[in-house]
Amino acid sequence: MRSKMPPQAYIDQAWFDRERELLFKPLWQFIGLKSMLDQHNAFISRTLFGIPIVVQNFRGELRAFENICPHRQNPIQVAPQGVRPLFCGYHGWSFDKDGQTKIPYEDALYRYPEEERACIHLRRFALEVVGGLVFVNVSNDPLPIKQQFGAAMLASMAQSSESYDAEVIMTTYDGAFNWKLIYENLRDGHHPRYVHPKTLYQDVKFEASINEYGLEALHRQQAEELTDRKRALALMRTYSYGGRDAPMEAPPNDWWHPHVERYRDQDWYYNWLAYPNLHVASSNGGHSFTIEHHIPVGPDRTEFVVYFVTAKKKQPYEASAAVLYAHAMGADPILREDIEVMEQIQRTLHGDARPAHLGDYEFINAGIEHWYLSLMEGKFAL
Amino acid sequence: MPCKYVIGTGRELRRAVAAWRALDANLDVRAVEIPERADAAAIRAVVEALDQQEATAFVALDPRHLNFPRLELARVVAACGLSAPALVEAGAVVAAGVQLPVNAWIGAGAILQPECTLGANVVIGPGAIVGHGAMLGESAYIDAGVVIGHGAAIGVQATIGLGVAIGHGVQVGALCVIDRPGRIDADVAASTFIQTSHAHPIRIFGQ
Repeated sequence: MRSKMPPQAYIDQAWFDRERELLFKPLWQFIGLKSMLDQHNAFISRTLFGIPIVVQNFRGELRAFENICPHRQNPIQVAPQGVRPLFCGYHGWSFDKDGQTKIPYEDALYRYPEEERACIHLRRFALEVVGGLVFVNVSNDPLPIKQQFGAAMLASMAQSSESYDAEVIMTTYDGAFNWKLIYENLRDGHHPRYVHPKTLYQDVKFEASINEYGLEALHRQQAEELTDRKRALALMRTYSYGGRDAPMEAPPNDWWHPHVERYRDQDWYYNWLAYPNLHVASSNGGHSFTIEHHIPVGPDRTEFVVYFVTAKKKQPYEASAAVLYAHAMGADPILREDIEVMEQIQRTLHGDARPAHLGDYEFINAGIEHWYLSLMEGKFAL
Repeated sequence: MPCKYVIGTGRELRRAVAAWRALDANLDVRAVEIPERADAAAIRAVVEALDQQEATAFVALDPRHLNFPRLELARVVAACGLSAPALVEAGAVVAAGVQLPVNAWIGAGAILQPECTLGANVVIGPGAIVGHGAMLGESAYIDAGVVIGHGAAIGVQATIGLGVAIGHGVQVGALCVIDRPGRIDADVAASTFIQTSHAHPIRIFGQ
């Protein structure tokens, strides 16, 4: 089937800006792992769709704010994560869990009129914790997170992420490609045998197939005018799913596996795809997890933040850091194989490029495409 | 005749064997290859099977897995009662008063300036320079030609790769890997990995 996605969806700045407003800003966004916020004053700061966001632990309570001091717009937390009070280093303003500010030398130096002073506080965002995952929503009227992911997906993400250990290794890759190429790639089960023949495909034989029911549903969806928000949200929930994906070629058997409380006990590759831009996988039957957050920063630039964790340790063991490091290094070639393909595709795209031809096995991507274009054309709003 | 067991794997094993033989042509140097992926019990079995009469040992492994296998092997050797004196290759310059701990390896042409302190099992590659008063933690691995500035501190099991210079007084935390050529002028938190392959540092949190 011929794709309806115009090349502008992948290369055009105006399209990207509109996508941020219509798709990303209304939706819940992963921002980090709960374990990285597990003590008073622990924080994570990220910039999502151009908005600097800080999530801060106030004596066990997590709060999300715009990471901008209301005085002179200095970022309050400068490091991407750490443990530090919510305190602006420029003029010493500090903030409490409600975003209210304490201003040193306020009477002597600032003398704000009462009305103005009442407006001086941080902009607060909605926050939800799903198991070990923290999500934020920058919308003034956030939709319930259940409406984005669905109860079953939320339960599955919560249950699996509650098995994460607190020790985590993290890095960022700079991808020179549009973020949509990632979710298309992740929902394409036919690529691993060609892109990862010597790496991932050695351990797991992913087999793409055509789901006739799914295909029928796609045809029905394509025949309808998608204007009803409720229907659009219901469809969007079907784009997030997770759990067992493919059986492993051999039982996982690394020396450190006995040190962790394995998530379930099945020798499967697990995958959780949370639309639009979060991917969690366990390539060793629940002994460890890779969490990928694909942050769009431009039409042809995506920050690829990757976390690796093992399942919870039964008790601390000396070489756990080496296990995480080996995990990151082991996954690196697979990530780079994907990144290389996506960057190649991005380089070929131009304003007059012809549309892609999707196979029937790509019915999920075709469905997302139809949904996404309806959103971008303003047929419904999130 | 006294015997020197050089225990390890691959290139590091071959290098260490050659170095000991170059130091003393009369020394009976025997290479003991540890199989790849051998677990602690298998390693112990290999070491325990050695005839230890009049023997000393030396551990030679690369810095893989944040130097844990090297550290583990050195512990097994010590637990088996084998002494492991330091190896100081020809041409190395070690300032008077610098103590050479167990299983330290000072490469050919390396320079250790006064008042530097070395942890057990450190490796200082050929031509590396360790500045005045610098401190190298246990099982740190300093590659060939690296410069460690005066008063700098390198954490336990940290690895400093080819082409790196650590500025004077800079502190590099435990378990770090700095393997991108260039000069490090700011302190590096423990478990930070700065590598040519990655544009952004890799970090471990929650230890």
